[in-house]
Amino acid sequence: MFSAIYIEQEVAEFERVRRLLDRFPQVPQVICERYGQIFNRKSQNFRLQKKSPALILAKKYGSLVLPAPAGYGFDESNSYYFSHMLNCIYDCRYCFLQGMYSSANYVLFVNYEDFESALEDKIIENDGAGVYYSGYDCDSLALEPISSFCRHFVPVFSKFPDATLEIRTKSTQIRCLLEQNVLDNCVIAMSFTSQQAAIQWEHKVPTLEKRIEALRKLQQAGWKIAIRFEPLVLDGKHGESYRSLFKSIFSSLDVDKIHSVSSGLFRMPVEFHKRIVKLYPDEELFARPTSVADGMIALKNEDEDLQLMEIERHLFEYISPQQYYRCA
Amino acid sequence: MFEHGTNTKERNLQGGAITSVNIVVAHGLEARPLISMLELQPEKTDGRYLVYSNSAGATLIVSGMGRDAVIAATNYLGEQQRDEDDRLRGWLNLGIAGHRTAEIGSAWLANKITEQISGASAYPPQLLAGFASCKVITVDKPETAYPEDAVYEMEASAFYEVATKFSTAELVQVFKIISDNSSNPVNNIDLAMVPTWISTQENEILDLLSKLEFLVTEYNVSHSLSPAYESFCARYYLTVNQKIQLKRLCQRYRAMGREADLIAMSVSASGTGKQLLQDLDSQLNGVSSR
Repeated sequence: MFSAIYIEQEVAEFERVRRLLDRFPQVPQVICERYGQIFNRKSQNFRLQKKSPALILAKKYGSLVLPAPAGYGFDESNSYYFSHMLNCIYDCRYCFLQGMYSSANYVLFVNYEDFESALEDKIIENDGAGVYYSGYDCDSLALEPISSFCRHFVPVFSKFPDATLEIRTKSTQIRCLLEQNVLDNCVIAMSFTSQQAAIQWEHKVPTLEKRIEALRKLQQAGWKIAIRFEPLVLDGKHGESYRSLFKSIFSSLDVDKIHSVSSGLFRMPVEFHKRIVKLYPDEELFARPTSVADGMIALKNEDEDLQLMEIERHLFEYISPQQYYRCA
Repeated sequence: MFEHGTNTKERNLQGGAITSVNIVVAHGLEARPLISMLELQPEKTDGRYLVYSNSAGATLIVSGMGRDAVIAATNYLGEQQRDEDDRLRGWLNLGIAGHRTAEIGSAWLANKITEQISGASAYPPQLLAGFASCKVITVDKPETAYPEDAVYEMEASAFYEVATKFSTAELVQVFKIISDNSSNPVNNIDLAMVPTWISTQENEILDLLSKLEFLVTEYNVSHSLSPAYESFCARYYLTVNQKIQLKRLCQRYRAMGREADLIAMSVSASGTGKQLLQDLDSQLNGVSSR
């Protein structure tokens, strides 16, 4: 599963680390001083590493709970994100992480208790409220059998009913959620793109059907679920590819109980895009005409508003506008 | 070269020739079995180094022993190959080493390289599966006590530091074959056995080179340029900056499945370099600039 496991000396004796390492005796285990020696070094290639990433077990220092980027979430209240992990086991060609990090290795920060304290401090600072996103720098659930992320962090929010945890994912690793008590202030948000986009750009991601099935099970168990249509890559075909996607998803779920639905166009910081182009000069998606505004790059679409409206029109055949928001 | 060998499948497990890998060895005794294995021929050089290569492009240099020697030799070879456009090559430091307990003749891929004198460590990405791996400690004098459970040798840290300036870290690897251990200390090494120890690892070495070559090829193919690029460069005067723009435009045409358009333009286009870039860009974006 991993080409190697690097372990920061400082966490080598953590019980969580020992348990994890015991599960992978066949994988080379290499002690390092700080994860940045491996993760941030120059002269490495994300694309090549993605063929066989390593796992890095590390301790996160500094700010553990950060303000969410503007326009990221569904709520007007204060929003934050936290990342127990950097990078994702999936390989989505449109993903901005390829441009953000120089390494495709997975960093798992194992000092969960420090994250827990930081979350509690931030929630208290917000009078017990706020929205807390997980899954910005990784997929929250995909590595659950190894990380036990949900098993640890979901119960933290049981103490703060006015604070909301959103777990962003494309994974079907939901057993940990089905095995614990439903938390009303926890939202499992599943990301989707059109079937065509998924085939073309989403590698190693569970199929559309499996993701829908996971959502259905979660909803049946009482968990709040949300749908994220990101990134939207417009194809000039009046949203036809999304029409069938919406039908597949919403005909399988109790639509009235869906917490929220959002969409967001393909976009990323210009610098990330530049780095990704260097990694994937042969990728059609990055060869398309682009436009730049406020340091963000987007695909150039002459009738973008019209196409978006078409997609939303199809969407509102299933959900109410009150359930929907557009990401900035 | 492998195509004409008697054991093609065994020799090249990935099916292609070893064309883009540089091998750096410290000693002629280490070079000898590799020269035979890869059917290398001596190259004419300025006399500073013994360099061998084959028609497919694999290259071997004998650096001499120690960190300073390997820095100079790796730099020398890297600089010699600088004119190969954006293509990368794999780099492999191969040689004998000591270990407290490892069996004489066993082979180890470095997963961590520590320079003993500075304590600095590097971590070669472990993309080449199927090889026993180990920490490598680079020392300035032969190690006789083998204090750590690690491979001891004299070049890896310096090699790695320099070779990663010429290639990406994934394509730079260190492979060591055990020549001495606690039972057979370094002072007792029978140098005549060095070629034998390396030859015994022929299958491992060829497997390693094949896997390295596979990654190199994948990188180079994905970054290769349309022949139209050279054609444009030959027909137009282009500044360095314009060549960079042209390169990206050529990549975009290929990525969008429009290389035929590009090639057609490369034989018919006229005007200035600036106009060429505008035309290429406009056609790609579906806008007419004229």
